[in-house]
Amino acid sequence: MLRRIFLALVVAAAIGGGIFWWLTIPATTVANSLPAYTPDTANGLTTFNAGGCSSCHAVPGQPDRLKLGGGLPIPSPFGTFHSPNISPDPTDGIGRWTEAEFVSAVLEGTAPSGAHYFPAFPYASYGIARVEDVRDLFAYLKTLAPVPGKVRDHDVPFPFNIRRNVGIWKFLFMDGTPFRPDPARSAQWNRGAYLVNGFGHCAECHSPRNFLGGIVTAQRFAGGPNPEGEGWVPNITQKRLGEWSAKDIAFFLETGQTPEGDTAGGSMARVIRNTSQLSSEDRAAMAEYIKSLPPVEGPPRPTRAAKS
Amino acid sequence: MMMRTVIVVGTLLLGAGAVLAQQDAVKLAQDTMKANGRNMGTVLGPMVKGEKPYDQAAVDAALNQFDDTAKKLPTMFPASVKNAKWEGDFSPSPKIWDDKAGYDAKVASFAKVVSEAKAKVKDLDSLKANFPGIGRECGACHETYRLKKG
Repeated sequence: MLRRIFLALVVAAAIGGGIFWWLTIPATTVANSLPAYTPDTANGLTTFNAGGCSSCHAVPGQPDRLKLGGGLPIPSPFGTFHSPNISPDPTDGIGRWTEAEFVSAVLEGTAPSGAHYFPAFPYASYGIARVEDVRDLFAYLKTLAPVPGKVRDHDVPFPFNIRRNVGIWKFLFMDGTPFRPDPARSAQWNRGAYLVNGFGHCAECHSPRNFLGGIVTAQRFAGGPNPEGEGWVPNITQKRLGEWSAKDIAFFLETGQTPEGDTAGGSMARVIRNTSQLSSEDRAAMAEYIKSLPPVEGPPRPTRAAKS
Repeated sequence: MMMRTVIVVGTLLLGAGAVLAQQDAVKLAQDTMKANGRNMGTVLGPMVKGEKPYDQAAVDAALNQFDDTAKKLPTMFPASVKNAKWEGDFSPSPKIWDDKAGYDAKVASFAKVVSEAKAKVKDLDSLKANFPGIGRECGACHETYRLKKG
């Protein structure tokens, strides 16, 4: 009898393990599924700026935003990540990557080694992007200067350091289907929706997250505690931006100036350095989309600590 | 006894004086920054956006106020306000004192951009050309030397 129970447990564990294994297989794009294509590096640059790649991958503490040697520490409740080198350096960067490996990384969050990336890399947003935009981005990155230097490993404690578990995270929180335009909306609105939800990855910081680090869908864009630790990320639905015109939003994305005359602070200052490089049409599109976000109440903001 | 009273009262007065001076410094910093913000957000910004007509006198007044700010900034955050109570959303980052050289460099850069703007801004086009640079200076300093309360 006891033996039979033991056997049943072993079988159950094997099935459980098998399901876990199957659920957490990292997805990849294979080279022969990519049709022949001539990349457009000008659009690659747009993708680069919309994606804010430089905000995390530029070498910190120096002014050149195209020096993509990585190394920025990104604190989170799950540990500190260190952004990798994405310059075309053959040993320390992505110089030897194939195009398919790059597409897998950006759209599926899977490294060339076949391991899951941690979602500090916002592939859950990038995943809705057009594959052509990603191929253009790859071609553009290849035109930049290689930066030697390997970045240190992430500082992520157990159990979050087990990359296979990220497969479960992806299963729960990553949509992974390409962007579907809303035919009832204008072309400009759809372009904005694509940029804001895809490469712009605005929701990654401007939304509250649950205890597993997944975005709370019902409160998308409604702000929340800063995932990097200190402070609060503002609600960008009409709940808080009701008094901003679409023009004000576009102007903010260009100059970092709020209608009150204040300036973007914290990580948003880095974001503005990217969005200021976009075309005014793209900024206007993002603004139109953001202006259309229905008002959503964000999580309750803790009363300000009476810190002297 | 008399002597002791004098010392005690004197010390208290000095202490109260220091607190008052501290609050004055806080108020000066906050009022100056609010005035800067009003000039960016309600005077220059709307002209750049095309919501208000270009007005040279208003532009001059705003730029003069920035210039005045640039002159006050090197001494705006004395060590005495480090532990002061800052009402509102923002407070100075300790980096202002820990990285004095970096802070001074940012102030000098702001002062330079403002004096250039004062020399150059004569019409809407030159305002449009110089406005983003001023905003970048505000933002660059706030990014490092200002804290937003959570």
